[in-house]
Amino acid sequence: MNNPIVRRELIGALRKPNVAALEVAWLAVLAAVIVLRWPAGGRVNLAGTQAQQVLSLLSWTILVGMMLVAPAFPAASVVAEKRSGTLALLLNSPLSPASIYLGKLIGALGLPILLMLLTIPGMTACFAMGGVSLVHQVLPLYLIFIMVAMESAAVGLYVSIRVNDVDSGIRLTYAVLFVLDLLLLIPYRLVADTQNPTFLLMGRWLASFSPLPAMLHVLGANSVHAGNSVNGGSSVIFRFVICALVLSGVLGLLSIQRLGQWLFDRPRASGKITDDRSTKVQAYRRIMYLWFFDPQRRSGLIGPFSNPVMVKEFRTSRFGRSHWMMRLVGICLIVSLGLMLAAAYGSINFQPQTLGELMVMFQVTLIVLITPSLSAGLISSELQNQSWQLLRVTPLSPASIVLGKLLSVCRTLLLLLFATLPGYAVMLVIDKGQASRVVTVLITLGLIALFCLMVSSAVSSWFRKTAQATALSYGLLLGLFGGTLVFWAGRGTLFSLSLVAAILKYNPLAAALATIHAPGFNDYNFVLANWWFMLAVMGIAAIVLVFRTWRLTRPD
Amino acid sequence: MSEAPVVETVELTKIYGEFTALDHLSIRLEKGQILGFIGPNGAGKTTTIKILVGLIRPTSGKASIGGVDCTSDARKIKHLVGYMPDTFGSYDNMRVREYLDFFGAAFKIPRKQRQDRISASLAITGAAHMADLYVESLSHGMKQRVAIARTLLHDPPVLILDEPANGLDPAARVEMREILLNLAQRGKTLIVTSHILPELARICNMVAIMTHGKLRAFGTLDQIMQNVRHQRMIEIQLLSEEDVSQAAEILRENLGQAANVTQAPSEMMVRFNTTGNEQSLAVALQRLVSAQVRVSQFREMQQDLEDAFLSVTQQDKAQATVGEAQA
Repeated sequence: MNNPIVRRELIGALRKPNVAALEVAWLAVLAAVIVLRWPAGGRVNLAGTQAQQVLSLLSWTILVGMMLVAPAFPAASVVAEKRSGTLALLLNSPLSPASIYLGKLIGALGLPILLMLLTIPGMTACFAMGGVSLVHQVLPLYLIFIMVAMESAAVGLYVSIRVNDVDSGIRLTYAVLFVLDLLLLIPYRLVADTQNPTFLLMGRWLASFSPLPAMLHVLGANSVHAGNSVNGGSSVIFRFVICALVLSGVLGLLSIQRLGQWLFDRPRASGKITDDRSTKVQAYRRIMYLWFFDPQRRSGLIGPFSNPVMVKEFRTSRFGRSHWMMRLVGICLIVSLGLMLAAAYGSINFQPQTLGELMVMFQVTLIVLITPSLSAGLISSELQNQSWQLLRVTPLSPASIVLGKLLSVCRTLLLLLFATLPGYAVMLVIDKGQASRVVTVLITLGLIALFCLMVSSAVSSWFRKTAQATALSYGLLLGLFGGTLVFWAGRGTLFSLSLVAAILKYNPLAAALATIHAPGFNDYNFVLANWWFMLAVMGIAAIVLVFRTWRLTRPD
Repeated sequence: MSEAPVVETVELTKIYGEFTALDHLSIRLEKGQILGFIGPNGAGKTTTIKILVGLIRPTSGKASIGGVDCTSDARKIKHLVGYMPDTFGSYDNMRVREYLDFFGAAFKIPRKQRQDRISASLAITGAAHMADLYVESLSHGMKQRVAIARTLLHDPPVLILDEPANGLDPAARVEMREILLNLAQRGKTLIVTSHILPELARICNMVAIMTHGKLRAFGTLDQIMQNVRHQRMIEIQLLSEEDVSQAAEILRENLGQAANVTQAPSEMMVRFNTTGNEQSLAVALQRLVSAQVRVSQFREMQQDLEDAFLSVTQQDKAQATVGEAQA
């Protein structure tokens, strides 16, 4: 505690009213979880089944809580200081970059550890019920939680050092953790049937960056995906701990290296325009950027039929510029075509359903990751930058502002969705009978995109800081799309099938997977119920967004 | 007969709970006038400005620009006013030309005219060379110019500039002064707030001094100076150091203790304050000359806007102290 940054970070975090609210909410959730699964009959199963059920629900809740809370503070920590100018003061002090980093890391771990401490009474109650092993379950679970917190903090701090604004830090951190925690499970899923030891080993190690296999192992379920084991006994936990430590260590070293004085050694953008450069450079850039996508091209004036807010959003968003959009679309096309080629040459023995599952997972992941980053700052960033009052003194109506902002995100999402469509063509070539399913999936995907857009935009209108709006948007969407899948992963073992079906009804990803008859989702049919759910939420979100925007444009 | 006012507030009041941010403010500005709006922090300047541009609703009273009510017809007001807040409100990733293009489009300036307007606005504010630069890469002074250019885009008759000279270096301040004078010459009515009073004094022909939400002084710069000039400070330059004490004694005898006569022997100078007129000053000078005091200069020290402002705020403090004592 000799490090002054640790004290300041800890005290600063604990003084925040929203942290106090978070602690109260956390306790309420834990209590609710325990009450929900606590045996009501006054009798306890000697085999420990009930204790295991309480333990698993409680543990998954803690894990999801850790995944959502642990990255939030470190992701904003350094970049906020960079923006306010206090990082320059810290770097100018006798504190070394290593001690600054360690101070930030320990400070960032303070809140997750506090939240973990609050779970001890619940865990003790599970243990006291009998049938729960301290050595094989409780302690490994806490080890996993600590590793998740440390991995999240390391990722958050590294990202925070690299970015230039708080909301980018939050967005990127959650995106990286989403990849680590969920997407890295996919390669193992793909190679599980090949029996190729090299692929299996690589898949296992990649999956070990995610805490989910370790959690499932500790809680007695065998696999992330039913029937496909990622485990190898206690080595699952060992691999996860090793991966988390290595990742945290590497990111720590990179962060310390970057936290030098030269962090600020950047010239101001020179504002070069291709039109003003030599003929040779002009020709080169115009060929390389296909003329229209050159970021240094002098852009034209906003057209008479264009919504100025929409054009402004494209121009101000880093990924809204056409060259970035084209890069993103290009990557989507490559992935989609890659899948198509793999299927066509039979290098991977895909059934249409498996291909459909992959396509749906890929598209929904893209939508869930990209939409909040584009829309959670639609209103809040204007309020944060104090540019909202400039918009208020223009004759733009609230409807025009909302429409322009929503359209700007819609175009991006549409481009992404279209870029990933070729994969479905492969499905139809393999099995023409899939046509109606593909159409239903596409409608579901369109609704998912609108759903994410409306939820994030509505959240955005309630916050004056984009980082908060982004964090909440990601929290809500990842909780719905990813969090509810945890119940599916433990179906039949940890959770009853009826409970899983009732919960999955609200998960749009599950609805899309069920429509495409993806393995593990064949038995479900709730696409219509899910559409109604999404439409209802979108309606509420639209009302909230329009009302808040109207309110914000009115005189105070 | 005076012209119709371009900007007018009548008994404008804004109350937040128990706090009165603005207390019955009445001002009137005519075309081409530059109003220097001065007062300490929290005096109510920004509240007034925000009411004028339709961002805040007054609790009572009226505010109008060009005869249009600022509260009930906020949409029309937006076309009549160019507002530059004290914060820039920038958008990252945007070039200056794109930034102005967006606001031009927001004000529904036809595309054909917009390019010319952007170029003209940038030229007036001396920012033409910044058109292709990214907004976030601009220095503070450059941003201030771009912000003024933005206010000019839709060619409003009234410009309201909140702290345009804030944070500028001396050279940039001089340039800013020239820009504002140029705008007034083009027939714009300007309301400018600033803490840099000597700068304001050089450009404003009207001054409003506010403290605690109340208008303490309003009028032309000369009127303000006359009103706040309760005591004139006179400075007498002597030829010899020995004359200093003698001169001080004569002045004390003639003017009394209230004159607060001070001596500066090393400077061969005597200073005193007086509320007397020219006649009484002539008598004092005559007495010094008859007493063989060798006077080389007898002059009134010039008071500036800063003195006027301090005088008003000191009166305000004194009144507050008396009020507290009575309470």
